[in-house]
Amino acid sequence: MTMRTAIGLVGTGLLAAFSALVAYAQDSSEPGGNLRFEGYPGAPEIQVVSRIDELFFYPCDECHATMEPNPDIRELDTFHDSEIDHGKGRIWCHSCHQLEDPNNLITLLDEPVGIDDAHIVCGGCHANREKDWYFGAHGKRLVNWQGERTVYNCTHCHNPHSPAIEPRAPKPAPPVRAGLEREPGAEHEHTPIWESHEVDDEP
Amino acid sequence: MSKAGDKFDQARRNFLRGIGLGTAAAVAQPAWGGQTFQDALADFFQKDYRRMSKEEIDEALGRIERRVKAQYDVDIDCQNTPPQENVVYGYAINISRCIGCRYCVHACVKENNLGRDSQVQYIRVLELDQGNFNLEQSDHYYDPEKVPVEGKHYLPVQCMQCDDPPCVKACPVEATWMEPDGIVVVDYDWCIGCRYCMAACPYWARHFNWTTPELPAKEINTNCHYLGNRPRPRGVVEKCHFCIHRVRKGQQPACMEACPTGARIFGNLLDPDSEIRYVLANKQVFRLKEDLGTEPKFWYFSD
Amino acid sequence: MNVVRFIFDGIREMFRGPRIYWIWLAVLTAIIAFGAWNYSLQLADGLVVTGMSDQVSWGFYISNFAFLVGIAAAAVLLVIPAYIFDRKDIKEVVLVGEGMAVAAVTMAILFVIADLGRPDRLWHMIPVLGRFNFPVSLLAWDVLVLTVYLLLNLAIPFYVLYSRYRGKQPNFRAYFPFVVIAMFWAISIHTVTAFLFSANPARPFWHTALLGPRFIASAFASGPALIIITLQIVRKTTSYKISQSVIDTLALIMTTALQINLFFVGAELFTDFYNEGAHAASIHYLFFGLGGFSSLRTWIWLALALNLIAVTILMIHPTRRHPVLLNVACILTFVGIWIEKGMGLVIPGFVPTPLGEIFEYVPTSVELAVAAGIWAFGVLVFTLLAKAVIAIEMGKVRQRESESALSF
Repeated sequence: MTMRTAIGLVGTGLLAAFSALVAYAQDSSEPGGNLRFEGYPGAPEIQVVSRIDELFFYPCDECHATMEPNPDIRELDTFHDSEIDHGKGRIWCHSCHQLEDPNNLITLLDEPVGIDDAHIVCGGCHANREKDWYFGAHGKRLVNWQGERTVYNCTHCHNPHSPAIEPRAPKPAPPVRAGLEREPGAEHEHTPIWESHEVDDEP
Repeated sequence: MSKAGDKFDQARRNFLRGIGLGTAAAVAQPAWGGQTFQDALADFFQKDYRRMSKEEIDEALGRIERRVKAQYDVDIDCQNTPPQENVVYGYAINISRCIGCRYCVHACVKENNLGRDSQVQYIRVLELDQGNFNLEQSDHYYDPEKVPVEGKHYLPVQCMQCDDPPCVKACPVEATWMEPDGIVVVDYDWCIGCRYCMAACPYWARHFNWTTPELPAKEINTNCHYLGNRPRPRGVVEKCHFCIHRVRKGQQPACMEACPTGARIFGNLLDPDSEIRYVLANKQVFRLKEDLGTEPKFWYFSD
Repeated sequence: MNVVRFIFDGIREMFRGPRIYWIWLAVLTAIIAFGAWNYSLQLADGLVVTGMSDQVSWGFYISNFAFLVGIAAAAVLLVIPAYIFDRKDIKEVVLVGEGMAVAAVTMAILFVIADLGRPDRLWHMIPVLGRFNFPVSLLAWDVLVLTVYLLLNLAIPFYVLYSRYRGKQPNFRAYFPFVVIAMFWAISIHTVTAFLFSANPARPFWHTALLGPRFIASAFASGPALIIITLQIVRKTTSYKISQSVIDTLALIMTTALQINLFFVGAELFTDFYNEGAHAASIHYLFFGLGGFSSLRTWIWLALALNLIAVTILMIHPTRRHPVLLNVACILTFVGIWIEKGMGLVIPGFVPTPLGEIFEYVPTSVELAVAAGIWAFGVLVFTLLAKAVIAIEMGKVRQRESESALSF
């Protein structure tokens, strides 16, 4: 595994995020006290690999400090991804990024969250995935199966602006035994059931 | 890994260093297949793994290291890391995450010192048509520009480390067995090469060294295990061993580490808090050819 | 000392004969030498010189092995009428039959050894010294039953012949228990060999309870076919009296066995093809080809045709009694069963692989040459044994009176 030493493990960042949430829950205990998220009971302790140092544009306020916050949905002509292929048009920049403090992300409850705690933002919509991620059925654990659990954050693998995994070139097909050649056979004969039934196009 | 094991390995290494000095001159002789006469003789009369004493295993490990040194001029560290207590390994693959990229296959080849010319691979990734799970209609040799291909899904298959392994029953000389941590291993120095286990395996997981496996010296993985990835002789059967040299030290199997999508989940079946147990408890899982009663410790699921 | 003399005289008889006999031995030796040379190539380079692969991991060697165990078992068809029903005519030839069993088992064992990746480790099978996975491994069973069967078929004739050699009648009570054991053992060797294959749910083509009965039926057809032809050769080349009634009995047994075998094949075809499931993929490959691969198709239809012609000849009394037609039927049966139970049984078990891959197998010249060598070795073993057996049975080789007096 090639993990740059500069990328620290930010378990502390996670804890900070949690305490932020807890703080939020306490703050809003009057009107909506039941709206709080503290991770999953019984979920194992994890350490999330920091991604901040890999970000080309970070910190965001290097540019955005001098720009007027603009919540309008519009054609983007900057060097950011010009299209947001995420949410089928239901979300926009400030759905996840904090408008006033561009270095941070934001939850559905308008709580600021650090870039390295992106999973808290993602989990706002993808709660089932987030649960699987906490328990280790989704996402990628690194190095070991035993001992300390180090995992990638959602955004290591999924580009949040276009989260589908990109197709990639496969490694070479398997060889056959040394000294033998594979004769090309016929194509697989299976016809999908929906193609073997005739469809009457006439109304 | 246990402290005692560490100490034991260290002591062994010192011991071997001593021997190495004494036999350095003898190693240079090319006779006896690159071995000294004593080593060749000792190899021939070597007992099977489970009946060797600790000392005999140490001597066998030394001979293995000297053989590799003579053949490739590479110093490997062939260990005999014992199984951990209260650990039985299990594996699960999220087939809705598998994109068929074969990164696992090739990581495995490198990690396990698989003969490049004998062309053995432990993992086979099958490409299937949407709506079809008939292995006989799978494509093993798909080679598109990009995967995943629309309308296809992928199924990686390797040794299932069956809890009731038919290969173990088949072996006439008990050269293959299940270790206490559930890994089905082969003693490459005891196997007679009858290949009955290959006929018995329902997962096509066992592979034979039809020719002497040759390795590029630079690519040899020097972290070896007697029951695992040490360079193998010709004429014997081998198979996936869940990277026994890694997992017994707490590391992930190489295929899991190489998987770019995190589709592979590995862990201790006896630990109720492990990821693998979470998958088994919370996901719809299935096992290949479960009807054959082999009790694979290898599951598939999707989400 | 008597035993040593007996063995010495026996061996001397083996290497005594007319020019044509010596030419025969020389031809066999040449083929054996050619096979041995090819085997040395295999030893030097490994099994990579064969056509076998991870996909089809057993090939021509194991095919011949399965077939030859059947031939060995068929000797029991002479043993039962000779010793149980006390047929005098068959008793005359029973030792020839047992000689054939010895040759067939020897070949079977040699074919297994030729197939091993590490023949140098054969000693690992020896109990105590090695590890013998008995009774769990079916292959361990097979090694055990074949070894014991070989010993039984050496020991019984040895005792009988040794008695004859000394001019005595063999003590029937002394060897009858062994004859009974040998009878059951003959069935067991072939049943175990069938179980070796049918024990694998991984290979649906083999995984059928019918395989054991099918093996026995086909063995009892191909075995007598070989014995009938051999007995005629013996009758032609020696003055040893072989009565026609022996051949008639064997022909009748063969007819029945071949009919039963064809019925079994039909039953298998129906079960597989009526509702074609995963179980049928291999048989589909065998008879019709699969995924564009069909290298066994011609062979299996040929085998079926040969067996059908043979069974037709055998079922009609006048044709079965016709000396030439009977021989034709025997050859057709022998070849037909050799294809059906050899390559036709072993190879489709591996096609497609358990993961559905279709990869074909074609034996290489090395495999064919090694196999020819082993067959020639079996024929040589039989020739030598039969030569000695017939000479002793005919009283040509006898202990000389003076010697027997001395030895006491």
